[in-house]
Amino acid sequence: MAEHNLPDQEKPQENQQDDQKKGLLSRQDFLKIAGATGATAVITQLITAGPLSPDAIEGIGRRTHPHEEGTSENEWRMGIDLEVCIGCQYCMWACQATNDVAEDDMRWNVGFPERTESGTDFYMTRPCLHCAEAPCVKVCPVGATWIREDGVVSMDYQRCIGCRYCEVACPYDVRRFNWDAPTEKNLYTPTWGTPEIERRSRGVVEKCTFCEHRIDRALQNGLTPGVDRSVTPACVTACPVNARVFGDVKDPESPMSQFLREKETFVLREDFGTEPKVHYVRPEKEEEV
Amino acid sequence: MAILDLSIPRDRRKRAWWIWISVLSVMVVVGLVGAVRVMVLGLEVTGLTDRVPWGLWITQDLSSIATGAGAFTFSAIVYLLNVKKYQPIARAAVFVGFLGYSSAMLALAMDIGRPDRFWHPLVYWNVHSVLWEITWCVVLYSTVLFLEFLPIFLESEYFDRWPWLEKVGDRLHRVSPVFAVIGLGLSLLHQSSLGATYGVLSGRAIWFKPSLPVMFILSAVAGGISMTLLLTIVVGKLQNQPIISRELKSNISRFAAIALIAYLYLKLWDWAATSYYSQSPGASEALARLQATTPYTQTFWWLEVILGGVIPAIILLHPRLKRNDRYLMVSLLMVIVGVTINRWNVTLSGLVAPPQWSPGVIGNVIAASYLPTLTEIAVSVGIIGYALLAFSLGVRYLPIYPKPGEAHQH
Repeated sequence: MAEHNLPDQEKPQENQQDDQKKGLLSRQDFLKIAGATGATAVITQLITAGPLSPDAIEGIGRRTHPHEEGTSENEWRMGIDLEVCIGCQYCMWACQATNDVAEDDMRWNVGFPERTESGTDFYMTRPCLHCAEAPCVKVCPVGATWIREDGVVSMDYQRCIGCRYCEVACPYDVRRFNWDAPTEKNLYTPTWGTPEIERRSRGVVEKCTFCEHRIDRALQNGLTPGVDRSVTPACVTACPVNARVFGDVKDPESPMSQFLREKETFVLREDFGTEPKVHYVRPEKEEEV
Repeated sequence: MAILDLSIPRDRRKRAWWIWISVLSVMVVVGLVGAVRVMVLGLEVTGLTDRVPWGLWITQDLSSIATGAGAFTFSAIVYLLNVKKYQPIARAAVFVGFLGYSSAMLALAMDIGRPDRFWHPLVYWNVHSVLWEITWCVVLYSTVLFLEFLPIFLESEYFDRWPWLEKVGDRLHRVSPVFAVIGLGLSLLHQSSLGATYGVLSGRAIWFKPSLPVMFILSAVAGGISMTLLLTIVVGKLQNQPIISRELKSNISRFAAIALIAYLYLKLWDWAATSYYSQSPGASEALARLQATTPYTQTFWWLEVILGGVIPAIILLHPRLKRNDRYLMVSLLMVIVGVTINRWNVTLSGLVAPPQWSPGVIGNVIAASYLPTLTEIAVSVGIIGYALLAFSLGVRYLPIYPKPGEAHQH
């Protein structure tokens, strides 16, 4: 078929090439090897130190590879004292209302009754942990989720394609997908708050944002998240027993810095290497265990 | 015409052909009904959940890409290693590859929540995401496959009336070696990174290991060769005249068996290193839960390793058994099914035994469950129907295989 129809004038050229190959290393071979070596060097540079390297994220303007410290003056973290928590679920309802998460089987902030190994009952709650080494951020093929300079793991609902790789990657079951168009009435409004952000469309993944819209509002108005109630995450302000604490760990006087100084805390599954920014206090004193 | 078994009367042949085409068309229609349901109602109609967000369709993506790997394998053999005797099967391999990749893209279009944003990975880059790299490779490689396949399409008699089109096809065909090199590079990248999709997830202990990418590409080579060879033998049977010689068939089956054994060897050490000689706390805990609550340990050993690996490897290497076409076809089918089950097991095992993160003892999820819904199955059936329908029509109307008269020649 087609290769039988090679034009005749090309054949002598091929013979010439064959003749050249008889030498130990023809000029053409040399160029080929040099070219391949050069290309390898360039690619190696690109992926180790160049624009494709894990540490260079300027290309998309969003930090999708955590590694380095944020350049912001703030770093937001949350503390949850499981010994203080009474399991009233106010934090969950406030979250549903503020972030307009209408469905009950879709929660950004989850909670459930728990028991320690030694038999102490407690109530476990868990927002997004905003990991410094967030697996979800690394895997998103479009950079729809990224780590803000202040450490918040944020989402771009306009960019998300709904592949759900982030859900697969997250070991804490934090992310929620919109399986259908969310049209239900939000039963938690207005009792527990009013929606402050738009509802997400069908087909995208969403998650807790540490109420980033409140943090952003604070910086514009000179308020302090964690201290001024209107700019603190809804779950924290809704807590009647102050089991949740929020604040800037770069400010040594913030409630969160104090919390970390004064209490013995742990993070969920430290062995995953995800470096969560939500710190827990155990539901019982160590000596009781 | 390929379907030309002269021993069967003409009208019976004709009737069998039409029944076959009708069955496949019905499958496609069933798939379309499912697809419309998904588009109108959203992914709510699937059995997927936030805990098990990937299921049947991802398995289908991974398997059809794996069984389409014959394209890069045979292209490399024919155009790079210049082993011309495999030429009769190379075209079929490219065609099967193209159908595999287009099937995968159809399944993906169903699976992502916002198919209208399918182009986002091409515009918004996250170079740190394996899935970003896979998207690029699959898009580029599907283009390569299309360009490799186009000359075959343009060669058909229908296009004789436009000579310039044939010329285009001819030009494209002449740069086949270039496509083969590009295709080889792209395939080596993404066939492995499909395994890395799971292998890089440090928070998921069952998956987190560097062996997954290598096991994926080795099993894809075995599965891809098996798929191409199986279809070629079946078409040969139907036209009552073998397309490739006994010797070629024997060589190709040996090649598939070698890839299969390399895959099994790696699998053995993967198991030995992570579950027998040593254990990471996360992985052993999750594997214990899998064993206690799901059939995945059983299906791994029996379906993936024994039925999908060891037995077909023995048949494919056995000098007497592999000469029997029936044994050969069954063993090739076992390889394909084994690879498919592997993709299902890899995907689901990591999801149904999720990591335990609660500091207590009762709130953790022991095992999440997943069962595909009828809509999901309908879509999958439709995609399989599409691939088989396109293959049947292609073999019948396009010069995929040498025509019965000119077999063994090119």
